[in-house]
Amino acid sequence: MNVVRQSGTGVFSMNGREWSLLVACLLAIVIFSVASPHYATPGNAVTVLRNSVELLLIGLGMTLLLAMGGIDVSIGIVMGLAAIAIGRILGADGSPFVALVAGPLVGALLGCVTAAVVVLGRVPAIVGTLGLLGVYRTAVFVLLGGQWLSGLPSSLTDLLAATVLGIPVPALVIAVAYLIVWLALRRTPYGLHLLAIGNSEEKARLSGIPVIKVRFLTFVISGVLTGIAATFYVATYRNVEMSIGSTSALDAIAAVILGGTSILGGRCSLLGTVLGVLLLRILQNGLLLIGVPSLWQPVVTGVLIIGVLGFEAVSNRLPLTRFQRARA
Amino acid sequence: MTAPFLVARNIAKRFGALTALVDVDLEIRPGEVLALLGDNGAGKSTFIKILAGAHPPSDGELLIEGNAVAFASPKDAAASGIATIFQELALSENLSIAENVFLGRELKRSIFGIPFLKRAEMRQRVDGLLQELDAHISDPEAPVGSLSGGQRQAVAICRALNLNAKLVIMDEPTAALAVAETRKVLALTRRLAGRGCAVVLISHNISEVFEVADRIVVFRRGRKVAERLAAETNHEEVVSLITGAHPDVRALEKTN
Repeated sequence: MNVVRQSGTGVFSMNGREWSLLVACLLAIVIFSVASPHYATPGNAVTVLRNSVELLLIGLGMTLLLAMGGIDVSIGIVMGLAAIAIGRILGADGSPFVALVAGPLVGALLGCVTAAVVVLGRVPAIVGTLGLLGVYRTAVFVLLGGQWLSGLPSSLTDLLAATVLGIPVPALVIAVAYLIVWLALRRTPYGLHLLAIGNSEEKARLSGIPVIKVRFLTFVISGVLTGIAATFYVATYRNVEMSIGSTSALDAIAAVILGGTSILGGRCSLLGTVLGVLLLRILQNGLLLIGVPSLWQPVVTGVLIIGVLGFEAVSNRLPLTRFQRARA
Repeated sequence: MTAPFLVARNIAKRFGALTALVDVDLEIRPGEVLALLGDNGAGKSTFIKILAGAHPPSDGELLIEGNAVAFASPKDAAASGIATIFQELALSENLSIAENVFLGRELKRSIFGIPFLKRAEMRQRVDGLLQELDAHISDPEAPVGSLSGGQRQAVAICRALNLNAKLVIMDEPTAALAVAETRKVLALTRRLAGRGCAVVLISHNISEVFEVADRIVVFRRGRKVAERLAAETNHEEVVSLITGAHPDVRALEKTN
């Protein structure tokens, strides 16, 4: 019965899906360690974790969106636009603290734009964000003037490479973001409302839930998290490339679905998302090290999405039937 | 006779060119079960959706305890003491019983300005309500999607009671239920009226209506065509009112 419970579970209590993901992660690590002598090194472990930072933050927001029955396929380019803003501030020798605020702020503003289109404009999320994706992609091109934003000063990098009590700042930020999103989802009325909307928007409305407010807010939260991800992106790479974020939406959706969040909404797992991100990054890194060109990475991600959803459809693990099976 | 809780005057509803309701006058009193009968498309569902705040009326007015009201949303109706148990039950299958009972009206405490759910207290209140209704639900933490039809009705009724509803509207509460569960829901309906609630019941099952209703109102083609005390009418008359075979209805439909 634990599998079907939405709440009442602790911050880290695990269900079957999450255990499977953990086992899959460990299994992949063992296989890659055997296959490549360069794999099982402390340096590579840091690389995998480092590469997971942006996706973890974007994934938390995407989990909320999918749980609500929404989606945002433009999220990677939103990160790109936020990264350009941060890059411009740093490039003009602006204060790194101003840059720190710029990411979440631009993310929140773009979240408002997405919400205006999808929530207020009533355009279905998948179509609305696909339209924004087209607009933003050109915006990135125009803003960058066809070339990379590179050679940025290291002021932001130095700020975020620090450790607090021995814990790296990125880990700390992710832990805090996870805790805040978890509390919002499982301990506040907002979380209940979000899950109710994911189950059925009409029923949620009839229950007196402020559907528009909750949906709008969720797109803004996702935008803020993506803006924070952009901050880490710029701090790490100290450049903004033309193709920034082009696979982020695909990766985030794959990780969230892998983690056990329903693509139909109404059911989600934040811990599953974290494990999904780690599995994805472990696979991508491992395949690269055993000699598979990075060109194949989106193929792996795509196959994972299709595989998981196909498996769920075949085994009838959609929410309602799951409850019924649990009763039987 | 007690003063009516709700008075509807000349209520009309049009959806574009389609007229769903015309000139409906109705009084709903506390402690009384009022049954709305009528064929499919007679306007019953449209009428209760207006009472529930889900649709605004195109014409006419609603008075609650003597004061005119205009509902912009179901939340407004709920604030005026009207709870609706829709046919399709507006319950969230993925949430627990306690969460459903409080959904949209959660108990919360503010910590640093952030509203946190009072989960234990909500759970306790729901346990009490379930016991009071004799609902036989073993596990209040179970998701509503795992409950039987009758149990879901009980959850919906708990929800209405918890909102301190003064008027509970039930749309075909027994339509999908087995016999034993139907009896239970009918008993719950009487118990609601016994607590001083006004109850509006929509049903297609006329014997059921005679079992619980104090007053019967018949809708036909968007109009209210008859109103009878249950004690002063019978099964045949009600059927002829619904089908339009009754002389009163014929006379009415000829003049319109």
